[in-house]
Amino acid sequence: MLGLAETLATAAAIFGIFMSGCRHVRSAIYLYAVQTALVASIAFVYSASEHTGPALNISLAVVLAKAVGIPFFLGWVVKRLDVRTDSGAFLPVPLSMHVSIALFATSYYLASSLDGAAGTFSAAAGATASISLVFTGLLFMMTRRLAISQIIGFLTMENGIYLLGLHETRGMPVIVEMGVLLDVLAAVMIAGVIVFRIKKNFKHIDVTRLTGLNEQ
Amino acid sequence: MNSLALLTAPLLLWAVCAVLVKNTRVLGILTAGWAWLYLAITCTLAAPVSLGIEPQVTLAPGFSIDATASWFMMLTATIAAGAMTHSHFFFQEEKLREPRPKSTHIRLFYACAALFVFAMTAVLLCDNLGFLWISIEATTLLSAPLVYFSRTRHAIEATWKYLIICSVGIAFALLGTILIFASSQHTSLSAGSLSLQQLIQLAPQLNYPLFKLGFIFCFLGYGTKAGVFPLHSWLPDAHAEAPAPASAMLSGALLNTALFAIWRLLQVDSACHHGRAAFGSNLAIWMGTITVVAASLFLIRQHGLKRLWAYSSIENVGLMLVAVGLGSPGLFFLQALNHSFAKATLFLLSGNIIQSTGSKHLSEIHGLLKLSPMWGVLLVAAACAATGVPPFGSFISEWLILSASADTGRWLVIFLLLSGISLSFIAVSIHVSRILLGTPKAPGSYRHPVLGSLIPAALMSFLFILGLTTGGFVSSTLHIGGAL
Repeated sequence: MLGLAETLATAAAIFGIFMSGCRHVRSAIYLYAVQTALVASIAFVYSASEHTGPALNISLAVVLAKAVGIPFFLGWVVKRLDVRTDSGAFLPVPLSMHVSIALFATSYYLASSLDGAAGTFSAAAGATASISLVFTGLLFMMTRRLAISQIIGFLTMENGIYLLGLHETRGMPVIVEMGVLLDVLAAVMIAGVIVFRIKKNFKHIDVTRLTGLNEQ
Repeated sequence: MNSLALLTAPLLLWAVCAVLVKNTRVLGILTAGWAWLYLAITCTLAAPVSLGIEPQVTLAPGFSIDATASWFMMLTATIAAGAMTHSHFFFQEEKLREPRPKSTHIRLFYACAALFVFAMTAVLLCDNLGFLWISIEATTLLSAPLVYFSRTRHAIEATWKYLIICSVGIAFALLGTILIFASSQHTSLSAGSLSLQQLIQLAPQLNYPLFKLGFIFCFLGYGTKAGVFPLHSWLPDAHAEAPAPASAMLSGALLNTALFAIWRLLQVDSACHHGRAAFGSNLAIWMGTITVVAASLFLIRQHGLKRLWAYSSIENVGLMLVAVGLGSPGLFFLQALNHSFAKATLFLLSGNIIQSTGSKHLSEIHGLLKLSPMWGVLLVAAACAATGVPPFGSFISEWLILSASADTGRWLVIFLLLSGISLSFIAVSIHVSRILLGTPKAPGSYRHPVLGSLIPAALMSFLFILGLTTGGFVSSTLHIGGAL
């Protein structure tokens, strides 16, 4: 069963890398949804295989909220704002995908050196995949132009952190997990509202062009 | 349970009022009333703990008032009450100007302010790293609508940066929290724990490499929220673009709560070393020192009135972080108390000045002494308090921070702190003298200057009296002599 969890985690990281190579915002949202569903299914695997694992209804809530609710909401925002592609800033999109692959290798190295330092940190695929997702999310936030892509990058990062929590601690206490989930949902909603406002005032949602305050 | 209901009731009723009451004038008065009631209830609950009559008041499982939390609760509630009372005058004045704020925007502002105060109080109360993270993220989400208030291009840009930078920073704190939880699973308590009390008890058994890594991530995350250099980039933008009462709460209350989270974590770290100052303390002291020096350099070249005070807040955050690193909660609170009152006064006054002169650029604000002598005197007094000039208590707290650093032989820290403090005093003095002297460009257009200076004057007179009596306050209430 645990082998299955590691496979799913690696698959989630690979979908994250696909996402970083994706120019179309809508496809990036779909890939994010698949990645989140994979991460949530790992919670299922753990709760089925170990009785100490997170409760089944938590993983169900995560799937519904993060893998279905958020992509629907973001898809609706994208449709309303009529944005299609994000050409990327600082790095061309294909190159940022290659950087993500390199970061995946770095994650393996980091996970094993953590294992060496702490002696208890599992260097297996799960830790590698979760660190890689955090890196991919950060890179996505830094190398994209659109405000909506920054939200997707943030969510990918959050997926990586959630996966690390599952992998290293078999899930945090239920009430904490629910609170974190609530905060993440609220953050996405508020960010969505502000994205609409950016579009209204600036006629675009390119955050690299929000530089009015730098000149002060 | 009763005290919990008592504490939350005024805030919830305040939020409900903001949703139901359509007349913003009535709403402003009601809000101020709820905020003062909240302060009164907080003082009744927290004063016995801070005076040492009761060791701790438990409100709910995982939420309790301990001595340090009780001081900060009262401070947060005072700043909130002052800011909310002033915001009534602020919005009345704002309505005379173009573009006039919409009534729905003001109601949203009041509703979010209530929940924002609620979240900040939760940060101070919780004994659980998970709840701590949730509350801190909630403060970001609930204060973003406050920064967003004016809906101008600059305000939207500042809100976006605030939301994204702080959320990413706090995401790292979540990573850190998970690592600390993982480190606690290698103790006799195999299920692990997030409770701070349990973590302190288990400290010698924690897997230290994992805990240390978790601590670094949490420090990064909460440090972003506190505006520690080089993670401060959101702070001047958000403080400058928020309406004045919101800036006062961000600077006077929110920064303290973020530092409070770091202080809680540091207690666990020092318990890992049997109370001796170690890795975490050194990290806090050095990051604090670097923050003071960097902020003082930024202070020299400033063009915006509120950005000036924002950088001065960063400098004070550095000093508070050093106090936290020195392991003295009393010193941390004394610096926070003086900074919060002074900075709330400065931001509220700056709001008045900006409304009166119609400009937020330092190059266009001159002759404040001619425009309004009352504001001029208050501005000088508050600027002195913010930069640590006697007779204000911040002088004493800065002196004690330096002497505590000397006791542990940190001469380089003392040298850097002294240069930073002096440089920021010189920079602020030059900027303030330019504001005060000269001739105003136009006669001010402020309807009720007396009402507008009510809260700043009250805050400054409290701070002045406190400064004169700090000696007794320090030894009797804060026990700083013993803590060092």
